[in-house]
Amino acid sequence: MKALILVGGFGTRLRPLTLSVPKPLVDFANKPMILHQIEALKAIGVTEVVLAINYQPEVMLNFLKEFEKKLGIKITCSQETEPLGTAGPIALARDKLIDGSGEPFFVLNSDVISEYPLKEMVNFHKGHGGEASIMVTKVDEPSKYGVVVMEETTGKVEKFVEKPQIFVGNKINAGIYLLNPSVLNRIELRPTSIEKEVFPKIAAENKLYAMVLPGFWMDIGQPKDYITGLRMYLKSLRKKSSTKLSTGSHFVGNVLVDESAVIGYGCLIGPDVAIGPGCIIESGVRLSRCTIMRGVRIKKYTCVSNSIIGWHSTVGKWARLENMTILGEDVHLGDEVYSNGGVVLPHKEIKSSILKPEIVM
Amino acid sequence: MEKVVAVIMVGGPTKGTRFRPLSFNTPKPLFPLAGQPMVHHPISACKRIPNLAQIFLIGFYEEKEFTLYVSSISNELKIPVRYLKEDKPHGSAGGLYYFRNIIMEDNPSHIFLLNCDVCCSFPLTDMLEAHKRYSGMGTVLVIKVSAESANQFGELVADPITKELLHYTEKPETFVSDLINCGVYVFTPDIFTAIQEVSTHREDQANLRHLSSFETLQSPTRALPQDFVRLDQDILSPFAGKKQLYTYETMDFWEQIKTPGMSLKCSGLYLAQFRYTSPDLLAGGDGTKSASILGDVYVHPSAKVHPTAKIGPNVSISANVRIGAGVRLIGCIILDDVEVQENAVVINSIVGWKSSIGKWSRVQADGDYNAKLGITILGEAVIVEDEVVVISSIVLPNKTLNVSVQDEIIL
Repeated sequence: MKALILVGGFGTRLRPLTLSVPKPLVDFANKPMILHQIEALKAIGVTEVVLAINYQPEVMLNFLKEFEKKLGIKITCSQETEPLGTAGPIALARDKLIDGSGEPFFVLNSDVISEYPLKEMVNFHKGHGGEASIMVTKVDEPSKYGVVVMEETTGKVEKFVEKPQIFVGNKINAGIYLLNPSVLNRIELRPTSIEKEVFPKIAAENKLYAMVLPGFWMDIGQPKDYITGLRMYLKSLRKKSSTKLSTGSHFVGNVLVDESAVIGYGCLIGPDVAIGPGCIIESGVRLSRCTIMRGVRIKKYTCVSNSIIGWHSTVGKWARLENMTILGEDVHLGDEVYSNGGVVLPHKEIKSSILKPEIVM
Repeated sequence: MEKVVAVIMVGGPTKGTRFRPLSFNTPKPLFPLAGQPMVHHPISACKRIPNLAQIFLIGFYEEKEFTLYVSSISNELKIPVRYLKEDKPHGSAGGLYYFRNIIMEDNPSHIFLLNCDVCCSFPLTDMLEAHKRYSGMGTVLVIKVSAESANQFGELVADPITKELLHYTEKPETFVSDLINCGVYVFTPDIFTAIQEVSTHREDQANLRHLSSFETLQSPTRALPQDFVRLDQDILSPFAGKKQLYTYETMDFWEQIKTPGMSLKCSGLYLAQFRYTSPDLLAGGDGTKSASILGDVYVHPSAKVHPTAKIGPNVSISANVRIGAGVRLIGCIILDDVEVQENAVVINSIVGWKSSIGKWSRVQADGDYNAKLGITILGEAVIVEDEVVVISSIVLPNKTLNVSVQDEIIL
């Protein structure tokens, strides 16, 4: 079986992190974002994953070679030379997705994290016999998104309504599709929207079905949602009684620590914290609701909450970081610095406090 | 025949985050001012020195960033220009010393040292003549500035008659002098001996200080490696008042190009200078067959400007740019491959490579070169959609603006 992951563009909403690596390689829960999806696909027997990209293919390709070997799955790239929207890239990768077997292929949006119940989706797809299946997820504020109006029992999709003014439903497109090869005949190789042009046509022919995604769902394409997403992800690890979560008196709630990270004494870590490889958390540090990327050193007595600390950065002693402070790669905060929502671009040294949310270039 | 060589310090990538977002794709020394890369201006000034044998660019950017530029400028000026990469920062004097063998290849009698990010008229020939009269080891280009702003720089005291450098101090807290260091110097080869003395002295001090750990804590140079020698604190300061160093005062303009805002100001200064030195580089036009040009404007030969557009003053338009009908440009740098569509207005801004400015859109700022958001800067490949207004903002590369913004940094 094959799959296409829509990686798309520059990941500008995740800057400053994406100034250092392309978005799919930004770590989430100590693993490159895209690896979560590739592993889920591999687990249900997908043999080839195609990445639809339009930016920095060299960086991606190097990373992919490494993972091809480790995971034993074929990973290739399909590069857009001009932006093709949300459906065009699928047409562009046509030759890689059709292998003559007639099997459907997955299409995933790379910004999304969820439990990836792909096996259930395959069964659902076979069950209804339609041409395309999409995952939908329930949200509190559907009018911020595109709502999928569907029949509750069968899941048959009636229509898509973009940012509806009145309540028409609370299920939105979760960005996970399972498509029969015949769908490729409906997509022209030009900038096309899958929600506005392709799916409505299939729905009109009563051939599009939606499955409600069990478990959590989050679009982690921007820092605030990234932090919320980590909370949801770690919560689902807890539900599965994962041994990966840390235990001990120094941990509160769900915490993920890479085995090569070192944590000093007298720390209190959690809830909802991920600490990456090679990190050094010195003694007396308090971390909550944050992600500490690879190679970071957090010095003594510091307090970090609701923040993301980028690769190889250091945070001085007695510092306090909170309220969506984002440090890019190789940022060094001095001792006693306070940051309230500071967003710091890579390769900077910060010696004075940032009292209100500010971008430091 | 006495030969002269010139060394231009160009810096490197980890320093100079102040030049973001323009420095994301292009090294600062190659950023265009008045249509020419920043480093081109001191290089052209060096070319005017009689008996100039070679020009060296010293920095710690990767060599490949400068290969194309260096070979094309060598061909154009018919003078060898070479880029020498430091493996690690050695300080402004340390870098000179590190490459002394290459620099002294032709046995030059005099060596000019210039900082790339200095914008001035580079009166190098006059400076060299003055230096020969003084017969010292080195001569420093100086300029008078306002007393209030002097403490941002290196302040010097010079003897009003002999012009000898009597005293030098870097960014002092109290007022010392309104004469400051321009970052342009000429030396005789004795400078290398002087730098070596500093290195050796520092090593001796370090050895001595092993005896007293308290002293080690006090010394400001304890952290500096032996071969890291700063021109200002380590050479100018100690050698002042010893009849070795002299000053030459320039009465023309002088600025440091540290931020994108200053690059717009300096582009204007160089355009104004072109009016005297190379008026054929400046554009002209009255709106009949070609666009109306006001004040000093540079337009690259490959750029296309609609005749109904009005351009200037202080506008620099780079290669392959397309300026549509009815466009008004004031005080801006338009970089390569930009498209400015019909009836758009751009004031006090820098528009990055490959960007697109939509019809009737407006990109502007108040023009305070020193304020953080005093100049609007659009990074590479930014799209400003039709009728959108962008005021006093900085937009990072690859963004599309479909709503108006003001006083913002857009990542």
